Amino acid sequence: MPEMLPKFSTSVKLKYVKLGYQYLVNHIVTFLIIPIMAAVSIKILKLGPEEILTIWNSVHFDIVQILCSSFLVIFIATVYFMSKPRSIYLVDYACYKPPIMCRVPFSTFMEHSRLNLKDNPKSVEFQMRILERSGLGEETSLPPEIHCIPPNPTMEAARNEAEIVIFSAIDSLMQKTRIKPKDIDILIVNCSLFSPTPSLSAMVVNKYKLRSNIKSFNLSGMGCSAGLISIDLARDVLQVHPNSNALIVSTEIITPNYYQGSERAMLLPNCLFRMGGAAILLSNKRGDRNRAKYKLVHVVRTHKGGDDKAYKCVYEQEDPQGKVGINLSKDLMIIAGEALKSNITTIGPLVLPASEQLLFLFTLIGRKIFNPKWKPYIPDFKQAFEHFCIHAGGRAVIDELQRNLQLSAEHVEASRMTLHRFGNTSSSSLWYELNYIEAKGRMKKGDRIWQIAFGSGFKCNSAIWKCNRRIKTPTDGPWQDCIDRYPVHIPEIVKL
Amino acid sequence: MAEVSLTCKRTVISTKPVQPGKFCPLSALDRLMERNYLHIVFYYQSTVERNPGELTKKLREAVAEMLSAFPIITGRLFKTPEGHWTIKCNDAGMRMVEARAKGSVEKWLQNLDREKELQLVHWEEMFHKPYFWSTFYVKVTEFEEGGIAIGLSCTHLLSDPPCATMLIKAWADMTLGGKMITPPLFHPLPGRRPGNTNTNHEPYVELIDYYKLSIEKPAPVFNTKQVTIILAFDDEMVRRCITRIAPVESSRTPFEALAALFWVVVSKVKGTKGGLTNMSICLDMRNVLGLDRGFFGNCMVYNKVNGDGIEGNELCKAANGIKEVVRKMDADGIMDLIEWLKERNYQDLPWMNGYDLICVNLEAVDSYSAIFEDNARPLRVSYYIEPAVGEGQILIMPPPAGSRNTFSRVVTITLPEDEVNKLLEDALIQEFSPTILMGLNKMHSSTSS
Repeated sequence: MPEMLPKFSTSVKLKYVKLGYQYLVNHIVTFLIIPIMAAVSIKILKLGPEEILTIWNSVHFDIVQILCSSFLVIFIATVYFMSKPRSIYLVDYACYKPPIMCRVPFSTFMEHSRLNLKDNPKSVEFQMRILERSGLGEETSLPPEIHCIPPNPTMEAARNEAEIVIFSAIDSLMQKTRIKPKDIDILIVNCSLFSPTPSLSAMVVNKYKLRSNIKSFNLSGMGCSAGLISIDLARDVLQVHPNSNALIVSTEIITPNYYQGSERAMLLPNCLFRMGGAAILLSNKRGDRNRAKYKLVHVVRTHKGGDDKAYKCVYEQEDPQGKVGINLSKDLMIIAGEALKSNITTIGPLVLPASEQLLFLFTLIGRKIFNPKWKPYIPDFKQAFEHFCIHAGGRAVIDELQRNLQLSAEHVEASRMTLHRFGNTSSSSLWYELNYIEAKGRMKKGDRIWQIAFGSGFKCNSAIWKCNRRIKTPTDGPWQDCIDRYPVHIPEIVKL
Repeated sequence: MAEVSLTCKRTVISTKPVQPGKFCPLSALDRLMERNYLHIVFYYQSTVERNPGELTKKLREAVAEMLSAFPIITGRLFKTPEGHWTIKCNDAGMRMVEARAKGSVEKWLQNLDREKELQLVHWEEMFHKPYFWSTFYVKVTEFEEGGIAIGLSCTHLLSDPPCATMLIKAWADMTLGGKMITPPLFHPLPGRRPGNTNTNHEPYVELIDYYKLSIEKPAPVFNTKQVTIILAFDDEMVRRCITRIAPVESSRTPFEALAALFWVVVSKVKGTKGGLTNMSICLDMRNVLGLDRGFFGNCMVYNKVNGDGIEGNELCKAANGIKEVVRKMDADGIMDLIEWLKERNYQDLPWMNGYDLICVNLEAVDSYSAIFEDNARPLRVSYYIEPAVGEGQILIMPPPAGSRNTFSRVVTITLPEDEVNKLLEDALIQEFSPTILMGLNKMHSSTSS
């Protein structure tokens, strides 16, 4: 007992020291200005009123000097305002809620696995082990064609799924934002594995009769981080086009990509990927400034494709029987960790408060000069953000990030619960997570959110948002009927 | 010839997840029926013009809703440590097959036989590992020129014909109005009512002996191929039959009259000597045991009727024999049987339909109230209790249209082919001028309305 007390008291002391240090460094400017201003005011007060007047009259103001200095000030101000990048606002977003009929309980998944892979009991065993530890729940959804024995992935079925998911999400978004199809200036659709001709963005233009001078883009093949790539693209296009808005649709179409072979490394995506989609409306219009939910602060993209191992770690290929599937390498988590480190190194200086950056700098200098054995300082990102949306790629990804960034269970709750309720919905999972946080009533004005996505390539992309206004707890949305049941405890291994 | 082509086979999941750890144990009466399975086909006309596949999709959505109330169907068979079957409610879903057929449903019904009809149901024999085997199979066949057929196959372990019909009715209610009028109840068979134990009560030995014998008999020999025909007897004819067997009409029921009629005629065509052929009747005991309409499970009990010494044309004596057995199958008698079955804890599987001629009373089965779309009662409902390996089967069912108080009945007869021919030509049968709803394909259907 006496041993614990000193530890406790030292940790408390350390906490206060840390807090004091943070306040000092983060508000250093205030701390410096206050004494200076105090000194100046005391000096002035000491002088007395007549002496102030004399000093005032002795300063000789020339008309030309005044004009030039004012022009200079106005000129600098104009240059500053013109070169400032336009603020991008997220007006609102909508997530697709799959019909409850499409859900796939574990027992059904395993039964189908056994029936479709009759001759490969080892592969079936493998799938069962993955499913037990996956962190998914009993309500994740697969498209109707995948419920067939054997699955029947025709192109028509894939288009049907795309139509249902995308149009549902867009209808919901249009209802929320009261925007008309004719008002959409930019359209970006990202869907990694299904890329028909005409493209999915053409399908949206056709369905909603969008304008003929719309700037439409279709991103395919870019993996689960494509959602944030779309945001980045929209931001860049919105810099060039004033007074515009951009509709972004992020989804993944499962029907054509359900692996029908028996190679273990390629069966993993079948266990994790589920139906989902999201539609997002971005705008740079002044009028949307007050009604927008979030403001986009930064987008940071990191691409590790230059490294061969990273490039091959999520690889679509044919198995020995000629069936196409996505091969996930065993080094996936290590590569993800490296990509994250790269991304953090770029983000850190942009978002961390000065106190954390100084500490990091000191430890870095210390390690380089004094003693390489010093532990590298991991900056505390919890000071920079109130909410974290980690791509629900799988339980391992969330665990790894929680460990690396030293996040608490509540910080990763949105990610874990999205994985449980919706599975890995690829690029749209970040939006389900954001919606969870809103549905729980945790989002307040001024909160900063960090969305992190990983994807094939290997890419790690981050987007940083700031909550722009008070957000009422949503009464619609994918979490509407089940938010009260969450958070649930997800056991390490679910017994099947 | 109309042809049925498969569109797809899928698993339908209930809309509400099942809480893990739930089990539905099977009763003693359930476990006896392991070797048997049912096929039921419901036929409907199209009322509204629809795209192909549209009605099937609507039915699929309704069935998913309905399954939320039937966790026993979406569960899987599991053996308890004592070696008994139970259902582990693991939420695995029910198999559904979708198909299309050429022609219209009316044309199909005119030219039907057993083989053709069984194309409208889907069945898979129990797997070696029944944990992945669906106990219920539904097949929805859309007819290209109009009409739809819904075929249900299920293992007799879980459900008897009235219970399976209740399932279809629940599905129909869900499709039509979005809610079930008679939600199902899952509970064990009732025990003996405490106040009613008669201390002098003798156990119903004959019933127990009949079951004992059935359990201990060896497997039957599957010899001749059986065919099925369906005859309809209208109200007047059934009353005439009843008058024939008893002077006072109200003392005999249509079931007793028709059962006696067919007992006598089938004995004749089989050429049985020294009495009537071995026959067992199978009765629905739900009312006798005071069970609610929503009770899910087996509740039909078999019993032998004694035909020794009854001569060829003695309808009255045959009917008396049947009535006697029906009277004796009261609540106490059935309780005796159930208690004996529980005590005995047998492991052998009887072939309950495998030996005698079986006469099944399905009069109370409410199949014609399963309405999926407005104003569309089923055109016809066919029942098959499989496998058909015994001496034959007579199923006595309610009539298709209109009121329930009429005495008209539909009878499904399954016998070897040559016996069926002789039966149709028999004078006694002709006396009551039945309409042939489904005859042998070689014979043209006589349409006497």
